[in-house]
Parts: sequence; structure tokens; C-alpha cells
Amino acid sequence: MTNEFGGIVVHAAARSFGSVQAVRHIDFEAPPGEVTALIGPNGSGKTTLLLILASLLAVDSGSVRVGGIDPVADPQGVRRLVGWMPDSLGRWDSLSALEVLTTTGALYGMSPEERTARAHELLETVSLTEYTRQPARVLSRGQQQRLSLARALIHDPQVLLLDEPASGLDPGSRVDLRTLLRTLAAAGKTVVVSSHVLSELDEIADRAVFVSRGESVRSQTLDEAGHQVRRYNIQAEPMDALAAELSGHGMRFEERGDSRRVEYQVMLDSTQQAAWLLRTLVLADVAVTAFAPAGGALEETYMSLDTDRR
Amino acid sequence: MSVKMQQPPQTADERTLSTRSAVGTVFGLEMRQRLRGRAWYIMLAVWFVVIGAVFLLALATMGSYMDIGAMLFDLVVGFVLFFGLLVAPGLSANAVNGDRAAGTLAVLQVTLLTPGQLLAGKWLASWVGSLAFLVLSAPFIFWALALGGVPASEAFISLGMLALELGLVCAIGVGVSAIANRPLFSIVATYMLVALLSLGTLITFGLSTALVMEEAEVTSSYYSYPMQNEEFNDQSPEPQPGDPECITETFVQPVAHTERITWMLAANPFVVVADAVPYSRSTPDAGQSGDFGYVENYRPPGVMEGISQQVRDFQAGPDYNVTCAESQGLARDVDDKFPIWPLGLLLQSLLAGGLLGLGYRRLRTPVRRLAQGTRIA
Repeated sequence: MTNEFGGIVVHAAARSFGSVQAVRHIDFEAPPGEVTALIGPNGSGKTTLLLILASLLAVDSGSVRVGGIDPVADPQGVRRLVGWMPDSLGRWDSLSALEVLTTTGALYGMSPEERTARAHELLETVSLTEYTRQPARVLSRGQQQRLSLARALIHDPQVLLLDEPASGLDPGSRVDLRTLLRTLAAAGKTVVVSSHVLSELDEIADRAVFVSRGESVRSQTLDEAGHQVRRYNIQAEPMDALAAELSGHGMRFEERGDSRRVEYQVMLDSTQQAAWLLRTLVLADVAVTAFAPAGGALEETYMSLDTDRR
Repeated sequence: MSVKMQQPPQTADERTLSTRSAVGTVFGLEMRQRLRGRAWYIMLAVWFVVIGAVFLLALATMGSYMDIGAMLFDLVVGFVLFFGLLVAPGLSANAVNGDRAAGTLAVLQVTLLTPGQLLAGKWLASWVGSLAFLVLSAPFIFWALALGGVPASEAFISLGMLALELGLVCAIGVGVSAIANRPLFSIVATYMLVALLSLGTLITFGLSTALVMEEAEVTSSYYSYPMQNEEFNDQSPEPQPGDPECITETFVQPVAHTERITWMLAANPFVVVADAVPYSRSTPDAGQSGDFGYVENYRPPGVMEGISQQVRDFQAGPDYNVTCAESQGLARDVDDKFPIWPLGLLLQSLLAGGLLGLGYRRLRTPVRRLAQGTRIA
């Protein structure tokens, strides 16, 4: 799946800062042509892993290959391949959006014509054309994020590392981001996205790696995630009829009070079982008004891992 | 929203970043930010006003001197150096860790830019930034030159040495900024290093003289004015001074072997600049004793010239034979001593180079050892 010439393969990576073991043991694979989500609570080592992949940080032990290249042995080789979008909003305040991109392009060895053309193209991609000549300090947080994304893409990298790319984005920009990342993956790029906004990753990612306390605890594809036991929320008018029907089929449910309207939550083994239940309820003349998974597939995994959230 | 998967003219693997282009890009990035901020212009304006005020004040108060040109020239050079030593750390000592604090350093490090190219670009930008201050003080330097008494070559050598000193201080600042994590710390540390060079060398030299004191026989001469009337009372006419006699006496007294410790002064920026200038100022008939035992047309040395004379005097060691002319304030003829400024430049370059070398090590990526409390991005 992940060959020597593309994608990311991390094996038993470990990295500590003094006495703090930021990454204990992470196995991680991101094949080209797919979007891989890196999921974990704050302080679980996501950013550290991305810094390692971006060739900024060396591992204490374990092996790392980005596009078949070891970032410690050949950082320049990795940098040619990798576009990295940091989680912190570093910016050159007085430079215009265009200059931010062309300067970065220059440092990737792009020729003046090439980088200018590419910068204009990317400003269009991230919908910042009206800020082309504006100093970066006038950009809002979400616009900064988009500029930062464009900066990571300037040299048309084969591997894209995005650290919390969706934070601060308005809903429209999130949809744009999703479309962009799918397009990049479809073009054969390796895309890694770290986030804890799980509902979004459901729609963007092909696979997910869950990390907790510096360890990779689970790795699964979205298809696998879709076939696992999930919680569904059901609402009906009236709720009594729903309760009677569920009990009649021997299904356990619990009443949820945390939403404004009462709903019942049931555990279902698969999407097939969900389809069966819905059909059964409808045929029994229960007026179903809502029938949906309680959370995203990834959220389900995340919760089931029961990792200690700090 | 779509991104074109264009086939670039070169593929990613073929792209390389030449050092020239890398340093130029970092330099351009720094300069653009500086030119678009207000702080630098305000500093330039303050500088111009202060140097101008000092110059005009000196011009007004010393207007009666014959050698006003030389005096003013030295004053301006000394002052520009003093102020330059204050400005250069401010322009250089947050170059790298300022970016670290702003979160833009990692963005540079993740490109094909190498640590050496980064440091070179930052250093060049801070040097050029501080050279603007020198350019702004050039009018006063040339004004003093126009008043006469100083050959133009002196002015250009002085300007060149000032530029060099600013470059060295900037290199120290950039080096410290790459080593230290916090901009405030690195700026203060750079000021301390500059103070160490400017004042620390003087203090060390002063304290060390006690260690090189030795007893030696010294021949000392001075003028005496014998009275013609030995008996001398209210009725006698005004005493007429006769021809001054040069009286020579020999003592055994402690002397300081300053020639052994003068190298300590070499690293002082003022010494470097003062010593590098070949002083060939007109001193007509210097050394000729006049009727009253005073050296005629005695020209007091300027500030920088005085520093140079003093250092060469220290270099020569104790004066075992003080002549009558010297007792009148003329400098001893010690021109045959080798100049000390190349040693000074060497010492300063070693300091700057060492700091830049340590900074280089801190900037290398992938980072293996990370200082406590640092974040890469």
C-alpha cells in the first residue's frame, strides 16, 4: 500500500523533551492518494509527530520515512517533498499575502516567474485574492489559516502535513478545505491532517490514526469505522410509541436529556442493523422524526478508546 | 475551489536553492519588514538630531580653536562609534529569537534554507540597517573635514573602520540571538558584551597595571626658569625669566610595563578605530621650543588621535627617558610600534565567529537536543 516512493511510514518513533516523553511509541502510515487523520487529545503528541515528519525534530529512536527518505539523514530531500502548515499562526505582519507566498517559494528554490504564478493561483484557491497586496496583519484568524495553508502548498509538495487546519475557519471555508484536501488526495498526494474536530474528519479522511499519551493506540480506515458498533439517536412523535416498539424487539435504549428535546439512544452493530431498525419502526407506524448516528464514526472510535482526556 | 495540478517547469526534485538566492531572500525579508515599520525611521531621526546637536554645540564652543576641523572630526567619529555601539545590538540581537517568538522561524527552517544562509541573511540585514546610521552621520563627518586639518584619507578610513565595527557588533548580536531563547535576554546580553569590549577592557587593563609594576631607573627632564636676581624683595624689579634650562635628573622609581598588557585594550572598539587611522595631521614646527619653553603651535590631539597616541605609548612600555619636549605634552615618538588594531579585529572576529558558530548549532534541524522550555513552532 505504502511503497518506498511515496507516503509516510513511521515505525516505533519515540521522542522526549528532557523528562517529558512527548512521543513514546508511534506507528503511523499515510499512503499517497489518501487523507490520513491524526487524532488525539491535547498533548498526545500530534504536533510533535508532525514536527518529526516535517524534518524539524529528530526522533530519539524508531524509523521515519517520508516519501522513502529519512528526514534525519536527508532533511533537504524531505523538505522538497513536504508542505507543512504549523498550528501556531506565525506570520510576517508587514508582508502582503502575495509576498508571504513568493518569499516562501523563493526559499524552496522556485524561479521568480514560477513562484509568482503559483502564488496568484493559490491565493485564488484559498479565496484571498482581494488581500493579494494587503499586509498580512489585516487578515482575520481564519484568513491567516488559509494563507498558512497556501504557504504550505507553494512548492506543490507531494506530502502535506496540516496541524489543525480547520481551527478558526468559518463553515464555508471548512467546506472549501475539505474539497481542496480531497482534490489533493485524488491527485496522488499524501495528506496528513491533525485535528480534534472529529465530525469534520469523518468527511475528509480515508483513514485515521489515534494517538494518546504519545502512543498510537488504534489505526483504522473510515470503512472499518463505519462497520463498528455505533450509537444512534432516535426521536419520534410520540416517544411512547417508539419506546414500546423498541422494547418489543428487546432493544435496550437510554433516554438522553442533554438535548433540548428528549431522544433515545441505542447501540447498533452495523449500518445494516440501523437500516433494519429504521424500516421496522416505520412499518410499525412509529412517526420517526430523527434517526441518526450519535456522533461521527471517528468520534465513536475515539470515545470507545476511553483514553484519558487531560 | 480547486487547485490546478499544473506540471511545473521544473519538478520538485530538481529545485535547488543557491546560497546567493537564499541569503538574498532572507535579507530582503528582513529589510522589507524594517523599512515598513516605523521604529527604524524614528531611531534614524533621533540619531540625526542628536549627532547634529552635538556637532553644532561643539562647533559653537570650540569655534576659536585653530584646529577646529581635526577636533570636530575626532569628536564626530568617536560619537558615531559610541552611538553605533548602542544601536547595532538593538538592530541585531533579536534577529533570530524574535522570529522564534513570532512563530516564523520554523516556517523558514522547513524550507531549503540552511542555518548558515539564515544567519548570513540576518546579519547582512542588521548590518545594512545600522550602516544607515553611519550614512546619516556622514554629512557631519564631511563638514568637519571641510573645516580643514584632516586629510580625506583619514575620513574614509575612519568611516570604513566604523562600518566594520558595526558589522562585528551586528554579528555578535545575531549570534547571541540564535543562542538565547528570549529577545530581551539576548539584547541585554549583547549590550553586556559590547560593554565588556568598551569598558571591560579598560578596567581589566587598569587593574592589570598593578601586576606589571617594576622598579627602574628613569631619566626625567624638565624646564627650569632661573631667576636673574637671586635676592628678591619688594624693591627689586619684576623678576625676568631667563632662558629656560632643560634639567635632567635620574631616579629609581616604579614603572608600569604596559607593553605586556596593552593587548587587552586591542579588542576595544574605540582603540581599533582610533588605531587604524594613519594620523598625518599638520603639526607645524612641533617639538621646537619657543622663547618661553612652550612648544609653539602646539596642537592638542583630537579624541581619537589621543586614544591612538595613548595606546601606542602603552605599547612602547615605560618611558625611561622623558625629554623636555615630552614634558611639555608632546607625544613620545613611538611610531615604529606595530599597529594594534589588526589584533583587535581578530579578537572581536573570534568572539563574533564563536557566537555565530554556537548559534549555527542551535539552528540545525532536525533538532536533537532542545533547550528547556523551547517550542520549535
